[in-house]
Amino acid sequence: MRGLVAIYRRELAGFFFTPLAWVLLFLALLVKGLFFVTFVEGLGGNVDIALSYSYGGSWTFWALAAFLPPLLTMRLISEESRSGVLEFLLTAPVTDAAIVTAKHLAATTVMAVLWSCLLVYALTIESLGTTPDWNAILGGYVGAILVSGLFCGVGVLWSAVFSTPLLAAFFAFLTNLLFLLIPYLGDRFSATWLGGLIERFDVTGHFRHSFLLGIFDTARLVFFLGWTALFVFLAVRVLETRRWR
Amino acid sequence: MIDVTHLTRRFGGLTAVDDATFQVEQGEVVGFLGPNGAGKTTTMRILAGYLPATSGSARVAGHDVVRESLAVRRSIGYLPESVPLYREHRVSEMLAFQARLHGMARADAKRRIPEVLERVGILDRERTLVGNLSRGLRQRVGIAVALLPDPPVLILDEPTSGLDPIQRIEVRKLIQELAERRTVLLSTHILPEVEAVAPRVIIIHKGKIAADGTHAELVDKLAPPSYVRVEAFVGPDAGAAKELFSKLPGALNVVDHGKLGVHHVFDVRCESDLREDVGALAAQKGWALRELSWQRPTLEELFARIALDLGDEEAWDAAPGGSAESAAPAPAAQPAPASPGLPVLGVPTVEAQPERVLYNLNPFDGGASRNLSAPKLAAGGEVPAAGDEATCADEDRDPA
Repeated sequence: MRGLVAIYRRELAGFFFTPLAWVLLFLALLVKGLFFVTFVEGLGGNVDIALSYSYGGSWTFWALAAFLPPLLTMRLISEESRSGVLEFLLTAPVTDAAIVTAKHLAATTVMAVLWSCLLVYALTIESLGTTPDWNAILGGYVGAILVSGLFCGVGVLWSAVFSTPLLAAFFAFLTNLLFLLIPYLGDRFSATWLGGLIERFDVTGHFRHSFLLGIFDTARLVFFLGWTALFVFLAVRVLETRRWR
Repeated sequence: MIDVTHLTRRFGGLTAVDDATFQVEQGEVVGFLGPNGAGKTTTMRILAGYLPATSGSARVAGHDVVRESLAVRRSIGYLPESVPLYREHRVSEMLAFQARLHGMARADAKRRIPEVLERVGILDRERTLVGNLSRGLRQRVGIAVALLPDPPVLILDEPTSGLDPIQRIEVRKLIQELAERRTVLLSTHILPEVEAVAPRVIIIHKGKIAADGTHAELVDKLAPPSYVRVEAFVGPDAGAAKELFSKLPGALNVVDHGKLGVHHVFDVRCESDLREDVGALAAQKGWALRELSWQRPTLEELFARIALDLGDEEAWDAAPGGSAESAAPAPAAQPAPASPGLPVLGVPTVEAQPERVLYNLNPFDGGASRNLSAPKLAAGGEVPAAGDEATCADEDRDPA
């Protein structure tokens, strides 16, 4: 556990020591700000819907959610495997699971920082005299972190598989895209068993039907945490096979 | 402290470590020696818990490296060859990270970090980014990181590779200091390093343990016999001189290396030091001596022999020793002036085996004029002039 915290802290420091995290933060802030202003103007000043659009109600959120985590996670394991630092970590008194979990949590934390700017928008609106729907905003924020956690899990897995960061990022992005596109098949097979199966992959649906409305549903929580745990677990296994290869 | 039994590691069809068995006791410093690709790094990685073995077992500090991997990792300081460090961190941050990984108390870490930095001599670089350090300094940071948790066992994979000679000497000295309280296993392919640092050597070749012991033991056990190198002016008939040398008591055989200028070079193989005998013979025959040295096989030769898969005797002639250990000027070698009036020797005929005698080597006391069971064809017992006390064993003139 102490090892996990140590690695988590180092990874977080590592993110902010490299320009990449700052560039991503800057771009995300820019894009989100632009879209938020566009939403508010387009909706005739309805900030609640504009915020909900920013938090998962529109494709802009999902584009960022699917695109940014691979960029953050691509270097986590693959780069260290190339530079040899992985040998240092894997011979330190820390379990493989702690290493992967710490890296995953660090990436998720960066994403949480990234989404937090929407809280600032809400606070600004609050200070201007209109009270937004805080339940929906906080629910949306927690949901956004959970979605990012899932996509970071995907990224960590691919980073463990490949020694080339770019390849890891590419495959992570494809997997995320698959997660987002599968629900569109759901309508076709809604009556069959396949529809039920597809629902198990429906990230957007699970997010929209609970967190975005400010409803805290443990079933949805389990959905996200379960998928995340699966990917982290797979990443640990892949890391272990590195020792055998 | 380190206990390896029948350790084997395969990578696909390649056997990197093949049935290796060795023990390292507490407080021992062991040099792990082998050519590139011999299996040194693989063995060390297995010991450090980075790689699992295909078969066999290894225990470090009483813990099995597979079953109690975390306990093993806590008790070793492992420095891989590539010196993996986070380049974007400062030296002190890297050490603080290592302290947290090992669960050191904050106060403990605060005390230890300047201590180890002082120890490796980079206290002034505490605030430098690791990525900005030179190779040698990074190596020291690597050693500092390995030392920080004060592990009882140190495993250092080529700790001096890529260093300049001065840095190499410093790292060597550092390792010697560290070895006072710790068990150290270090790998290298630089031989003088092992000879300077590690009293015991394990030579690994093609994954197998080829030799294990102290330098002296290895050289005694595995190296070929030593020889006396003679370079002398023996007149036109070198064959006769060779014959005479081979008749010396204790001489095994003589190798004629041919002419070097007007001088001839011979290697007289022998179990014990025959310099006096050779010198006395030369003095008796009036041969002008240029070199007379006792060449013992070195670890380097032994290593080359193992690494090149050389056979026994015949292979030795093909690969003569590289660094010959030249002895002090031989006392018996009294130079006779190479004048035109030098007596020319005939072919000797030897009947009986001579008995071994202790020579009186004082040239004024007839020292060189004893019976060497050689025929007294020439002006035997010619006492050379008193003033010629020049050295005969010339170290630099090692005919290649």
